[in-house]
Amino acid sequence: MPVIFPSAFASPASRAANDPAASVPAALREKVRRLERANSVQRSGRAVAVPLGVPAIDALLPEGGLLTGALHEIEAGPAPSGRVASHDGAALGFAAHLLGRFGPGTILWCRRPTGTFDAAPYAPALSAWFDPARLLMVTASRDEDLFWAMEEGLRCPGIAAVLGETRATDPTAGRRLSLAAEKNGVPALLLRAQPAPPQSVCATRWRIVSAPSASTPGLRDVGTARWRLELRRNRFGTPSAAETPSWLVEWNDETHCLAVVPQTLHGSSGTLFEERLVG
Amino acid sequence: MRLADARALLPDLVTIAGEPQADCRLVEAIAGWCDRYTPWVAIDPLGGALAAEGETTCSAGGFGGDAGLLLDVTGCTHLFGEGESGERALLADLVARLTRRDLSCRAAMADTAGAAWALARFAERQADLFCPARGQRSAIASLPVEGLRLEAPILETFLKLGLRRIGDLYPMPRAPLVRRFGNQPLERVDQALGRLDEPIEPRRVPPAFRTRLAFAEPIGRSEDIAAATSRLLAALCRQFEQAGVGARLLEIALYRVDGSVDRTSIGTSRPNRDNPKLMKLFEEKLGELDPGFGVELMILAAPEVEAWSGTQDALPDQDSPTVASGTDGTIDLADRLALRLGAENVVRLLSRDSHLPERVQVAAAISSKPAAAGAWRRVANLKGARPTRLLQRPEPVEVTAFVPDDPPSVFRWRRHAHRIVRADGPERIADEWWRPRPDGSRPPASTLPPVRDYYRVEDDDGGRFWLFRDGPYKLAANGQPTARWFLHGFCA
Repeated sequence: MPVIFPSAFASPASRAANDPAASVPAALREKVRRLERANSVQRSGRAVAVPLGVPAIDALLPEGGLLTGALHEIEAGPAPSGRVASHDGAALGFAAHLLGRFGPGTILWCRRPTGTFDAAPYAPALSAWFDPARLLMVTASRDEDLFWAMEEGLRCPGIAAVLGETRATDPTAGRRLSLAAEKNGVPALLLRAQPAPPQSVCATRWRIVSAPSASTPGLRDVGTARWRLELRRNRFGTPSAAETPSWLVEWNDETHCLAVVPQTLHGSSGTLFEERLVG
Repeated sequence: MRLADARALLPDLVTIAGEPQADCRLVEAIAGWCDRYTPWVAIDPLGGALAAEGETTCSAGGFGGDAGLLLDVTGCTHLFGEGESGERALLADLVARLTRRDLSCRAAMADTAGAAWALARFAERQADLFCPARGQRSAIASLPVEGLRLEAPILETFLKLGLRRIGDLYPMPRAPLVRRFGNQPLERVDQALGRLDEPIEPRRVPPAFRTRLAFAEPIGRSEDIAAATSRLLAALCRQFEQAGVGARLLEIALYRVDGSVDRTSIGTSRPNRDNPKLMKLFEEKLGELDPGFGVELMILAAPEVEAWSGTQDALPDQDSPTVASGTDGTIDLADRLALRLGAENVVRLLSRDSHLPERVQVAAAISSKPAAAGAWRRVANLKGARPTRLLQRPEPVEVTAFVPDDPPSVFRWRRHAHRIVRADGPERIADEWWRPRPDGSRPPASTLPPVRDYYRVEDDDGGRFWLFRDGPYKLAANGQPTARWFLHGFCA
């Protein structure tokens, strides 16, 4: 007489539930997370997240990339020597890389010019990441106007992404931007020329520091741009082993992709030794 | 008579300083108020208030009280009644309303502006102020010749000759009159009698598209004003649809009970006749309007219209040319932003074929033609590495170089020393000799154009900069290098 095990009649779902390997809390947490964001995803019909193109970084981010319906902050960090960063050219490059990866459409770029010493984004360089004809440049004289323009942009269906350059840290404005981004599924980026106090409701916060490039052996020429990326906040993402995960990445201006520079610790002083570039 | 003489005669004389500017403003305000009767309102060019001080004025010259307004009410009187009764009612209404505001005025109506002008100033009886159709010849015959708006010398001669009434000129032979006094007297007579056309130049050109809404009771709440605007807009949009146009500029005017007028306008970058979108633009502006003690009349007009193309273009998108144009709302967003921030603050970037880095990128208004697809890619391919930020004005830096023609080893910018570890360059960019200089002159053909040598450098902190040397390295007579160094941008 054949012996029938009760588990053979059970539905696949209950079988999975019985399976001790499947961790229920993780699945539940995932379900709740999806429910939270279901609204924004369904309404916009866009991708939930856009990968950065660097597997090591994307692995830590929720949904394998930057959430489209969220606020992201990018700040220029102090130089390795501890000096205040003299400019945020690298942070702007990283922001442009992100903007280029979000979907098609107009990019709304809001900024507050600083008068005579103003350094505006330069379109010929930005064309490495996206077509500058897609840019809608807005200059505001007050921070309130800047946040208002960003919020209006987030509500517009034709806008692919909104970027605001400001030093102001307004918690209310940050929350409003975050909500508008979530509701419309349009990413909002805040680009800061200097580190800001960590108080806003952003999904991710990046700190970008310009890193020395690699010259051609035997020459003193400037190599391709290298940045030290620090993921200082990762709200829905996977926790990483390090407190603030950090990578040295290189922007290849010929293949138009970011790649982590492989590095090994060299000697007890811990100086970075860069080998040949892989991937 | 001088003021001192007058005071000597009458010590307790009350004097009030004349204020021609204030008079001007008052006349302007009354003219604006008169838009309620007709859009075709002109300030009488011969009115004293508007004549500049010291300028010779005509027969009725002077300040203040002599100011006049000309209203062309053709086609407007039927609102007050049929035929002549309507004309009389309009005149009575105008006088009554002005009198109620303590403005003393005399208003006359005639077929021609000249006749009305003469009647308003010189008619002796109240009944004469209204001149029935085609009755101007007899109506002004008994008026003094001052009513002809003649220049002072001609007028004096007329009076010396005993020509005191306008009617005295009717039987005069025309040729001798012209020989003696020039064209003016007969021209004025012909204009007054309607033999010669005299167009009135309106203060504000009446727009072809306008709608008005008068209220039985004055309104003041902003919700009411918004609702009224919405109704006006709906009516105007229907007019647009019938005419096949869209608005580029819309103006709304609130006529307040105290006689003043408040106006505001919105502009769009494309011809637009989409009622909800225009209403959204208006909502931004309605807050600026002040209803005062109440609004009794609102007029919405479109001073600028354009043929409606039917669709609105989105910003060009190379990656996905299939994006439905016009439905994505980008243009409407730009309009809304431009309304609050100013049109010059909402721009798109166009590329320009130029060698000079600061000339490559041009900010253009949203309404301008979009850049050709791929224009930027072409520009970017032509150039070497470019900075992600370009300083609006290159900033001078102090440099130290081991060998004069080499890239610098240290540069100081904003009091920070940057030790240069790596450098690329030079990339020589010459001035564009085919372009006139800023002062309009052209550089002489024989001279070498000024050049800049650009270097991309990296300091020991990893910061990348874009420096240039202004001209090739040369030594001046005193042994100092002539070339100066500037920082022009920041690289990624």
